[in-house]
Order: sequence, then C-alpha cells, then structure tokens
Amino acid sequence: MSAIPADPNVTAVSATPRTETNYLNADWSIKSWLLTGDHKRIAILYLVSVSFFFFLGSIAAGLIRYELTAPAGFILESETYNKVFSAHGIIMVFLFLIVAIPAILGNFLLPLMIGARDMAFPRLNLLSWYLFMIGGACIMGGMINGGVDSGWTFYVPYSSMYANSNVTMVLTGIFIAGFSSITTGINFIVTTHKMRAPGMTWFRLPLMVWALYATGVVIILGTPVVAVTLLCIIFERVFHLPIFSAELGGDPVLFQHLFWFYSHPAVYIMILPAFGVQSELIANFARKRVFGYHLIAFSSLAIAGLGFLVWGHHMFISSESMYQGVVFSLISFLVAIPSAIKVFNWTATLYKGNIRLQTPMIYALGFIGLFTIGGLTGLFLGCLGTDVHLTNTYFIVAHFHYVMVGGAVTAFLGGLHYWWPKMTGRLYPESIAKWNAVLVFIGFNLTFFPQFIVGFMGMPRRYHYYYFAPEFQPYHIMSTLGSSVLALSFIIPGLYLTRSLSKGAKASANPWGAHGLEWETSSPPPTSNFDQIPVVLDEVYDFDPVTEHEQDKAAQALEVPSYLSNEAKSAESEKEKR
Amino acid sequence: MAAIASDHGHGHGHDEALHHQFENMEQQNDSYIVGMWTFLVTEVMFFGALFLIYTLYRSMYQMDWYLAHEALNVQMGMVNTFVLLFSSFTVAMAVRYAQLQKKWGVLSMLAITQVCAGAFMVVKYFEYQEKFGHHLYPGPGFGSHPEYLHGATPNFAQLYFGLYFGMTGLHGLHVLVGMIVIGYLMAKWWRNSPMVTKDYIPTELVGLYWHFVDLVWIFLFPLMYLMPKP
Amino acid sequence: MASTPLSSDSKHGGHSHVQPVWLLFGNMLWLMILLMVTWWASTFDFGNVVINNVVAMLIATIKAVFVIWIFMGVMHASKLAKIWVVAGFGFLFLMFGILGDYATRQFEPVSGWETNVPNGGASSFPRQWPPQKKPEQVGENFRPRG
Repeated sequence: MSAIPADPNVTAVSATPRTETNYLNADWSIKSWLLTGDHKRIAILYLVSVSFFFFLGSIAAGLIRYELTAPAGFILESETYNKVFSAHGIIMVFLFLIVAIPAILGNFLLPLMIGARDMAFPRLNLLSWYLFMIGGACIMGGMINGGVDSGWTFYVPYSSMYANSNVTMVLTGIFIAGFSSITTGINFIVTTHKMRAPGMTWFRLPLMVWALYATGVVIILGTPVVAVTLLCIIFERVFHLPIFSAELGGDPVLFQHLFWFYSHPAVYIMILPAFGVQSELIANFARKRVFGYHLIAFSSLAIAGLGFLVWGHHMFISSESMYQGVVFSLISFLVAIPSAIKVFNWTATLYKGNIRLQTPMIYALGFIGLFTIGGLTGLFLGCLGTDVHLTNTYFIVAHFHYVMVGGAVTAFLGGLHYWWPKMTGRLYPESIAKWNAVLVFIGFNLTFFPQFIVGFMGMPRRYHYYYFAPEFQPYHIMSTLGSSVLALSFIIPGLYLTRSLSKGAKASANPWGAHGLEWETSSPPPTSNFDQIPVVLDEVYDFDPVTEHEQDKAAQALEVPSYLSNEAKSAESEKEKR
Repeated sequence: MAAIASDHGHGHGHDEALHHQFENMEQQNDSYIVGMWTFLVTEVMFFGALFLIYTLYRSMYQMDWYLAHEALNVQMGMVNTFVLLFSSFTVAMAVRYAQLQKKWGVLSMLAITQVCAGAFMVVKYFEYQEKFGHHLYPGPGFGSHPEYLHGATPNFAQLYFGLYFGMTGLHGLHVLVGMIVIGYLMAKWWRNSPMVTKDYIPTELVGLYWHFVDLVWIFLFPLMYLMPKP
Repeated sequence: MASTPLSSDSKHGGHSHVQPVWLLFGNMLWLMILLMVTWWASTFDFGNVVINNVVAMLIATIKAVFVIWIFMGVMHASKLAKIWVVAGFGFLFLMFGILGDYATRQFEPVSGWETNVPNGGASSFPRQWPPQKKPEQVGENFRPRG
C-alpha cells in the first residue's frame, strides 16, 4: 500500500470515496483534451510532451557520454558528434528547460495559488501548447532529416553560410517555440496582476507566484530578440539578405550580442521558477515561514532585471571590447548576489524548522548544495582573467549542468513529486522515491564533478576526441558511469509515477499538511478550481511554531495527524479503535 | 465621453460577453488591454533588435548608406506614410463606433482601413518591383547596374538593402496579417456576432495592433528614406 | 441598437472612454503636419550630422507619442498599461547598450585589428591577412608596451 510518508504516524490517504468530478474525469473525450481551455489540462499536456522531449534529449546525452569514454572517436564521426551535441543542446534548452517548470507546474499552479478560476487567457494558453508542439515537430523534423551541427548557439557565419540545410527547419521550430514561450509569459503576467482572489495582496502571494511573474517578465522582454535574430539567419540563408556577413562588412559578433541578449536571461527563465518551487518546498517541509520573504520576492525581480545586463560574459573571448567586458564581469558578480540571498534565506528557513525528510525535501536540499556549486563556479567564469583559461572547456559544461540539472531539473523533480498528489489525485511510493532522490544526487555528482576537473585541465568542449591528452580518460569514464546512474534515476520516477496513476493510493486534499490555496481544494481539483473563490486573510506561509508543535504533540497522542480532513480523521480513529 | 456605470460590473457575470474566468467586465477589459500591451512590448523588442542592427551599420558606413538610400523613392514613402496615418485614424474611429455599438460605422471605418492597407501594399509592391528591376536585391546579381547604387560601395550597399528588405518586408508581413485580422473582425461584425457587438474589446485590440504597425512605419520611414547627408 | 456606450464603472478609472471625433481627427491632422515637418527637416541641414539625426528621431518620437497617447488610448488606460508602455520602450534603450561594445573597441589598440581601416573596422576579421608581424612584437593580440 503506497502512502506518503512511510512514517506510521501520518497517512495522507483520502478516506472519502472519489465520487466528485474533477478536472481529469470531467470529460474523457480526446476533443475535450485537445480543445481544452483548462489550465490544469494544458499543464498535463505539457507534462506528457515535455517528458517525451526530455527523453529524446537524454538519448543524445547518452551518445555524447558514450563517445567520450575513448580518447579517439570510436562510435561517432566528428560531424555526427557535432550533430548529437547540437541536438542535445537544442532539445534540452528550447524544448525542455525553458518550458518544463513554467509551463507544467506554473500553468497548473498559478491560478490555484492566487485563488483564480483559470488563467486570464485560456485559449491563448492552449495556443501556447500547440505552438510548442508545432515548434517541437519542426525541430525534430530537422533532426530526423540529418540534424544541425552548429551547436545550440548557431554562431554565424557558420550557421548562416556554411552549415547544412536543416538549420532553416530547426530555426523555424525554435522561432515557433519562442512564441509559445511568449504567450505563456503574457498569461503569467496578466493573470498575476489581474486575477488574484480578494485579500490576496502582492505580499501574501506564495513565492512561487513571484518567481513565475519574474519569469514572465524575462520571457516577454528577451524572447523576441532571439526570435528576430534567428529570423535574420533565416533571412541570410533563404532570402540572401546579408545581415551578419563579414565579407560585406557585417559583424558576426553582432549576432552573438543579440543571441546572448536573450540566451542569458533565458537561463534565468529556467532557474527562476525552480527558485519558486524551492521556496515552496523548503517552507512546507521545514514547516516554517520562509526567512526573508520580501527579500526573496524582490531578489526574483532583481535577477530578472540584472540578468539582462550580463550577456557579454559569454563573449569575453569573442573580440568584444575589453572595456565592456569589464562592465559585464562586474555586473555578473552583482547578479550573483540575489541568488545568494535566496540560498541564505532558504538555509535560514531550515534553522529551527520542523524538517520532514520526504522526497520533495530531499530534492530541495540537494538543490541548495548543487545550485551553490554551480553558482560559485559561475563566478569563476564571470571573472575575466580566469574565464580566458576556462572558457570553451568542460568547466563551463560542468558549471551550467550544475545549475541546470542540479538546479532546475532537481527542482522540477521535487516540485513534480510535491504536487503530484494534487495534479493526479494519487500518491506515489514514498520509499522508492526517497531512494531515487538520493540516487539522482549521487549520479549527478558522479557525472558532472569530474567534468570540472577535466575542464580545468584543459579538455575543450564540443570535441569528441582528446587523443592529445589521454590522461583525461579516467575522468570521462567516471563521468559516463555517473551518467548511467543518472539516467537510471530519471527512468525510475518515470516508471513509478506512471504506475501510481493506476495503482497509487488516492490522495486527500492536503496530504502534506502544506499551506497554500492550492491545498484548500480537492486532489485533483475540480475544473473550476474552487467551489467558492477564497478570501485571503493572511499570508500563505502562516506556520506558527507554537501551533505546529502542539499539533504534532496532539497528533502523536491520538496517532492521527492533525491535518487530515475530518472524515479521514474519523476514519482513522475508527481504525485505531478497532 | 460618458463613463456610465454599467449594471454588470459587480461580479454577477450575467453579461454574455463575460468569460468564465473573470468576475466582471472591468477585470476582463483591463486584462485584455494589459495582455495586448504585453504582446506589443514583445513586438517592440522584436523590431527593436532590427533597429539596433540598422543603427550599428549606419554609424559604420554613413556615406555609403546615404548614397545607397538615394535609390529609394521618397514620394512613394510619403504616400505610404500618409496612408498609414490615415488608416490609424479610421481604425480609431472604428473602435469608437464599436464602443457606441454602431455596426455600420464600424464596418465602414474598417473597410476604409482595409483600403488604406491595400494601398500601402500596392505601393510597396511597385517599390519592390523597381528595386528588383534595378538589381538592388542582395545576392549574386546585386550591383550589376552600378548607376543605381549612386556611388555607394556595393558591399555596404548590400547590407543596407539587406536591412531594407528585411525590415520593410517584416513590416509588410505585419500589415498583411493586420489585413487578415481586420477582415476577420469585419466578418464578425457583418454577422452581428455577439463576440464583437456586445464587447468592444476585440475591436480595440485589433486597433492597438494596427496602431503599432503604424508606429513601426513612423520610425522606419525617416530612417530608410530620409537620411540626412553625413 | 443600444445608444449607451459600452463602458465600465467610472469609479474604477473609466478607462473605456469613448474618444470624441474631433480629438481623433485633430490628432491625425497634427500627425500629418508633423510628417511634413519630418520631410522638411530631412532636407534642411542643421550643420552637424549628429544634430540632423537627433532632430529626425526627435520628430519621429513626438509622432509616436501622439499615436500612443491618443490613438492607442493610453491617455485613458489603466496605470498598469501606462507602465508597460514606458517600460517597453525604455527597455529597448537598454538593448542599445550592445552598441557600447562597438563604441569602446578602439580604446584598446591591437596590432592588425585597427578600426580606422578601409573595410569599416567593426568586423572581427583582421584587416591584414596574414597579419603583419613587427619583429619586436611577442605574438598576436599583444598590446604594445611603451
């Protein structure tokens, strides 16, 4: 019998039979799913499609790691290897990371967390998913047709003049997926401004909402720039309009400026929602108000703002002016400050908290450590002097995987597990999940920590051979072993989460005893989210340590957890009496 | 200019134009306007990047670009600007009629807007035709008739025309999309669809888009056609 | 046909004002006048190439402000919409910070990569190929000392 958590004092199982209609069983037809305006269904659509793309991207990653176990290329030729890492980058960045937490968890949770019935623009939301699918199909079409070997960064003049013909198709796909992102951002911003429940002032919002709002702002301001820049490459390739062509006097570095003007804020699109998830997990599993709520909220906005001022740190060795490089380096150090504020605040939240080490919490704690490492190594790269040595090596690869996988993917998994009962109405098997979370942590570190070392020693990135330095091989082998463990730890949740859909215990409205408007409605929620729009009287993290302690003591006395619904409590007491 | 208190502004949602996720019409209207402006901000950044590229290259090749721009027909550009400004007025009038729920006012104003947009596209067609005829489209045949380059270095002139066709082409595409959307709106009004007759917001949103298209042209015209001599 | 305009409660800002015809028509006439001014300013040399361009962009900006304020109804719009307009265009100027790279490149002279050369100078392709090495230089991209 799968119950969360394994602790015998607590159960989260719904005692009432599932008779009410919820958003999942309201209508079973395909049409109702494909033409839905319900933000929760759209989130599920995204979940399925994003998981599929993640799987494809992982296969590419596996190929890369396998190829790198030998100093000379042994299963892939140079050009094929280039296509494989480009595919890995494009799929993971544009079809997974940019989309995963905002479009899945964000779409599902934002209206619930603010007490609204739906997003501001439900049909636009659906359009967003269709654009994502069309963009994804174009990208995959380009991949199937032979792929691109320009890297996910598409630097000119290679991508505009010399690369193979699939560039146009893949860029079209990215362009369309960009518009999917933009429509999601529009929805987030307008919904947060306009659809909050009565009494839900800005500073009573859950920090996840602040994070999603900041993400929306970044999406709106940044994505169009990369859209038009990639469009310029299409202009160059298809319409012969020279824009970055060096022979005619154009400047290829201008492409890099415009590309990174988006792509750096893009990484904040990937990490800000992860920060939001993290705040929710830490608060609810330490059963304590988040330390420094205002600071975390404002730091989300600060990251969104400052994140637009640091793009040049990707171009330190691209012949950009050294004086600008100094400015970018300085601001890169400044942008680390809001992120550090968050990490300190989460850690302070843990202090004297009533920590419950359930699966989402393990992911959240892992996030703190892994993101800190990733962030700090980012500072080494933001420093001009060291960047000259470290750039274009595996140090960079390790850095961004620490923040992206150790950060964003870990938070995504943690959030997925945390809100899984809410989204599906089912509980997943806690013991397997807990061990798997530890496995993710182990596999991840085994994969990417050796890459720091080998990158520092000089292993270039995007090279499929290193016969000039065979001493790198042990590190690569360690990294590949780690990636096998990591792959396993990603497959296992796929299996048990899917299995829980049919075999998992049914969840009560609030199996975690968490605070937040999304937990005030049933699991899964009805299509209209709430029977009655709630009126908010206090901030969301209103954990009171005294009350928590008394509730815990009372629960232990009765052997019935205090946060079960009344029917469940009486059912439990009945069970105890028998 | 009355702002009359409506009888459906207080959460009962009996207004048939009120969508289910909103509590009252004011929230709905506000949301749509803010949402549209958010979209227009993305369009500002979209065209803005192209203006950035233009600024950079023009500052680098001022004389060549000045000479190359002389191939453009200022009169045609002026006609296009007049036409777009006038169409902005007519679409604002259409929004006004939509607020007053005057169907034939809306339809006539939108029809004039369509005519203006069509005129813009026609003039643009003739302009492009002239450029192609003079071998001013970037590519292998560029500059084969050097007299049309007016003395500009062919390489840098290609950059100018690359941006010219890119930016005016993209703008023309937006005009076309606008024409399609206005056509769709007209069809809705023609059929008395309550989506537009009971709710002026769709017309207002289309109007906002159209004004934005005009805004881009207001900047594009002096930059492309009216360069001062360096 | 209803004669009452569709509008919402005036207590909440009354943003759906029906704009009077004279305002819209007058705005259009004013914009046409500004258009003629634009054309005239382009033919008139203010002496300095910078001033010429500044004047042209200034007139275009004034036209844009009138379109946004009156035609697009920002005059009557909610505070949030106004903030978005300012933020959107303001943010655009932030992006123009990219030009800072090009403006500051010549501060650091590197042999073979000078900027005042016939081909324009902002391209990252070295001017002389192969780059001419002076005997006392120690490798490429080395800033000469003294």
